[in-house]
Amino acid sequence: MARGGEQVISMKQQYWVRFSRRQRIEHFLVMTLFLLLAITGFPQKFFDMAWSQWLIVNLGGIDRVRWLHRLSGVLFAIVAVSHLAVVLSLAASKRVTLNMIPTKKDFRDAIITLRYYLGLSEEQASFDRYEYRQKFEYWGLILGGLIMISTGFILYFPIFWTGFLPGEVIPAANVAHSSEGLLAFLIVIIWHIYNAHLNPDVFPFDTSIFTGKISEERMEKEHPLEYARLMAADMEPSGTNEEDSREGK
Amino acid sequence: MIMNRRYSLGTMLAFAGVAILWLALAYPSSAGETPSPDNDFCLGCHSNREAELVLPSGEKRSLFVDAETFARSVHGGKLRCTDCHSDISTYPHPPRSFKNLREFALAYHETCKSCHFDNYTKTLDSVHYALLAKGNLKAPLCVDCHGAHNISRPGVPKSRISATCSRCHQAIYDQYKQSVHGEALQGGNTDAPACVDCHRAHNIEDPRTASFRLSTPELCARCHTDEKLMKKYGLSTQVLQTYLKDFHGMTASAHRKEQGKTSVVTAVCTDCHGVHDILSVKDPRSSVMKANLQKVCAKCHAGATENFPAAWLSHYQPSPDKAPLVYYVRLFYQIFIPFVIAGLVLQILLHIWRVVVNR
Repeated sequence: MARGGEQVISMKQQYWVRFSRRQRIEHFLVMTLFLLLAITGFPQKFFDMAWSQWLIVNLGGIDRVRWLHRLSGVLFAIVAVSHLAVVLSLAASKRVTLNMIPTKKDFRDAIITLRYYLGLSEEQASFDRYEYRQKFEYWGLILGGLIMISTGFILYFPIFWTGFLPGEVIPAANVAHSSEGLLAFLIVIIWHIYNAHLNPDVFPFDTSIFTGKISEERMEKEHPLEYARLMAADMEPSGTNEEDSREGK
Repeated sequence: MIMNRRYSLGTMLAFAGVAILWLALAYPSSAGETPSPDNDFCLGCHSNREAELVLPSGEKRSLFVDAETFARSVHGGKLRCTDCHSDISTYPHPPRSFKNLREFALAYHETCKSCHFDNYTKTLDSVHYALLAKGNLKAPLCVDCHGAHNISRPGVPKSRISATCSRCHQAIYDQYKQSVHGEALQGGNTDAPACVDCHRAHNIEDPRTASFRLSTPELCARCHTDEKLMKKYGLSTQVLQTYLKDFHGMTASAHRKEQGKTSVVTAVCTDCHGVHDILSVKDPRSSVMKANLQKVCAKCHAGATENFPAAWLSHYQPSPDKAPLVYYVRLFYQIFIPFVIAGLVLQILLHIWRVVVNR
């Protein structure tokens, strides 16, 4: 069981374990399912396009594309629900703190960072375990995911839902599902790919979500508050802040 | 000598020219052994109302041809008897043996092709010809629809077309004549489709195949996307687009590309609106009338609830009046998506700019 805060000392460089095995598996599942959902979803959204038709034919026809999409969607829903369940139960038993919850500091950090980018100030925000951009993406995924899952199940079982909801909910869910899917996809290819690959700080590939490791150097630079706290906790192993450094979410 | 030679050369050339001309003119008449008799020659016998032939089957074939009927037909004054009855040019006629009337008709069924070759070849692709090829001798031949000596211009009046089909397809005709199309056609409205407008005249496709089913939207759209025509009746031309954009239309288009390699059935126009019994959407008996729609949906969607039909926007584009929920969800995302993406792109560009400045 890997825990944030465990220091791994190798010959070449010092690493911190940033992501637990559960988090890495979750990321891998979400990534795979997201790709599958996009590949089987966009040909349905942009049905008129030649590439959609090509993709549908090569995936074995519209019926199989839909089957794959629904299967991936159900698996995605399971991953999402189990993630929330695990995090909440771990938090309830005080084994993790809910360090993804946005705080006032995050809004301040965002303003400080934007001012810095604009050249209005030389002050840079110093971040804890998760900075405002990562929280934005996490909550985007959670809220967007919940919209995708709920509208997806409405479209999957229209007869059940129209038992107590007006029929218009079905085409509205269709518009929401297809638009939210497009938004999620654009955020991933623009924002996530930039932050995980093209960002000059991590180019070409931030591997920490796959290896679970982050270098001492990056830890100090990108998460100075967490780093300082962990270093302090190392001095006093019984420190009260230790929970924060454990499996975080 | 010199004079003679020149004279004889000119004579020879003239002879040769005459000889070639003579051969060219003489060839056609020399090919036919006897000249074709004119119609009066045939009518000498065939104007006898009593003349008939008893076939081995016991059926009687009248040999009477009404000269006046033929004269009024499209071929009157244009064709000679022997143009169609090309195997007969003499009297007594060469012996032919027909067991029954149908064999007699079949023996002549290819006679039309010598002039109407294009339509004849089309019939070879028809469901009627497929029946004939399988040995069903009742399958219709040219003369069964067009007549023989009394052929008149087809489709005059247009309602005659459907009446012709009804001779075999009576039950379907009975449905059709009460439909919105059938009623209009009988009322003399030539905008309304007769059988052949959907099924075609000569190359009639088997309408029971998956490929015919999946081509239905395209078929109906030929008229129902015609702006000028639909305006006359206050009908929307959005029907095809709205169908194709929705679940059923998308599925039908995809299945069509896959050439029906699926067991999944998706609704085409006729599944909701009806086929030969199609009614105006304003007709209270119409299957797509709101009161009847739940039953229609339930044909495929077992257990369709009362609210279920409203899941389909009835060919309407979402607007604040029709389907406001759909309209406002769409509007929200039309604003929200560019807003979020522009914000993120801006932050990325600012970050890159700062990195460049720092260097």
